[in-house]
Amino acid sequence: MVLALALFVLLTMAPFVWLLLSSFLEQKALISTPPDLSLASFTLANYREVISSAAQLAKGIRNSLIISGFTTCLALLLGAPAAYALARLNVKNKDLLLLLILAAQMFPAIVIVIPLFIAASKLGLIDTRTNLILVYLSFNLPVVIWVLRGFFYSLPSGLERAARIDGATTIQTFRWIILPISLPPLFAAASFAFIEAWNEFFLALIMTRQNAQTVPLVISSFAGQYQTIFGQMMAAAAISIAPIMLLTFLLRTTILRGFADGLLKG
Amino acid sequence: MLAAAHAGRRSILQPQRAAQLFLLPSIVVLLLLLAIPVLYSIWLSLTDANLSAGRLDTPFVGLENYSNLLQDKAVHNALLNTLYFTVVEVGGVLLLGLSTALLLNHPLGRWSGFRVLLLLPWAIAPVANAVLWKWIYHANYGVLNAILKSLGVIDSNVTWLGEPFRALNMLLIVDIWKSTPFIAILLLAALQNIPRSLYRAARMDGASAWQSFRYITLPSLKIPLAIAAILQTIWSLRTFDLIFVLTKGGPADGTVVMNFLAYRVTFNFLKFGYGASIANLIFLTSLLLAIAYMRLLKPVGRR
Repeated sequence: MVLALALFVLLTMAPFVWLLLSSFLEQKALISTPPDLSLASFTLANYREVISSAAQLAKGIRNSLIISGFTTCLALLLGAPAAYALARLNVKNKDLLLLLILAAQMFPAIVIVIPLFIAASKLGLIDTRTNLILVYLSFNLPVVIWVLRGFFYSLPSGLERAARIDGATTIQTFRWIILPISLPPLFAAASFAFIEAWNEFFLALIMTRQNAQTVPLVISSFAGQYQTIFGQMMAAAAISIAPIMLLTFLLRTTILRGFADGLLKG
Repeated sequence: MLAAAHAGRRSILQPQRAAQLFLLPSIVVLLLLLAIPVLYSIWLSLTDANLSAGRLDTPFVGLENYSNLLQDKAVHNALLNTLYFTVVEVGGVLLLGLSTALLLNHPLGRWSGFRVLLLLPWAIAPVANAVLWKWIYHANYGVLNAILKSLGVIDSNVTWLGEPFRALNMLLIVDIWKSTPFIAILLLAALQNIPRSLYRAARMDGASAWQSFRYITLPSLKIPLAIAAILQTIWSLRTFDLIFVLTKGGPADGTVVMNFLAYRVTFNFLKFGYGASIANLIFLTSLLLAIAYMRLLKPVGRR
């Protein structure tokens, strides 16, 4: 058992450890066999170099922050009321709507990308941040609705009745009673949407050229261009995943409990 | 008149109307971004749409694209690759995911730090992950060669991504490594839903650890395992980033799966109609799987 646990930790961690180690090592140390891990080979030069010279990366991070931020806000704004309606209000064809929203999360992007690309070209939206902000709603909105629906569903059933007796309308109930007690799940749903948008590659690859490039695109072209400066490549990768790792760590409990359960129970 | 105004005002405030108001914006957005594109994509697949001189021509050709699919060698190759990739990926992820879940459900493995560890491979961006493994697999300076050489497993450096079938298997390793943790989290949640009293009762009846696993754990995991298999298959069909960064489909098209083929036909060869027909095949498969998943979530009687 202990051996199996050790193996598990080793296999899970090793690639990350190597990513971090490489990002702090000189090129000379990385290309000697075996890699030279003596203290003298450690350096911050890779990070300095990547941050100062790669204007692309800075632009990519700014684009990614703006795109992920806006698409997340939009998804919450549209998705929270929809999730509430699906969880607690009387809706016609509820089962059908739920099926569609669930199926929407599983769409292979390749199916919608061709029509969306044609539409974006006609509207002159190719290579704009606006385009990605809107297009990302295609997967973020269903996810946000699904996560929040699970939470709203689990609230005690007396809430609305008490509010109605006090004369509140449905909209007032949602705004002043439900939303204030839903901040943690709203934060969780927002984080999922943000992570998905930050990591997305395929749609960004097709919809952007130079101006609206996001972090994954920069990293991928970086790996293509400078693929021989390994330490810098890893430093760039480390920078690109840092915000997501931080978010994931903050949200660890929610992800471990809520998300898995949500997928099992629906 | 007053009564009518009153009725109108009331109707907005009624729960029924509020529900429609709450749902409408989301439905409109999803129609625009998903439903209409899917319908348009089906129509495109019935045309010989191609981009020439910046103009999109869409001459109608009926089912010609689909009948061409049947004879296209590139499609056959991609289908075989996809089948192999999906079966090995899903099988590997389920097996390792279940082992990991059992391991972390064992009293020794309950430390919450282990679970947080599971989140690392899940959260890392697919592209950053692919770049990392490109470095690990590097033919001359990669750490994989260094480790295997020092262990005496290989004598000289191996070009891991240099041969078609080997490259596909190396991609599988990365994908399984990245996908296993989430399925482990899913199955771990399912394991924790099994009532403890069942195990206590089994122990009192003198059941061995294996019998407890065989007659309590496995049957309780039947539906979660099926759900995991379906979700993982859907996700596996979407694999793109990894292939794009590590092999671009090569060598010799050895790592071209259906998803990548649809991308290549559409955006490299600019055959929008034919690309759409390939994409629709993937869509149909995913849709059927999503319906199966929905069925599993709502066992008869819970409706």
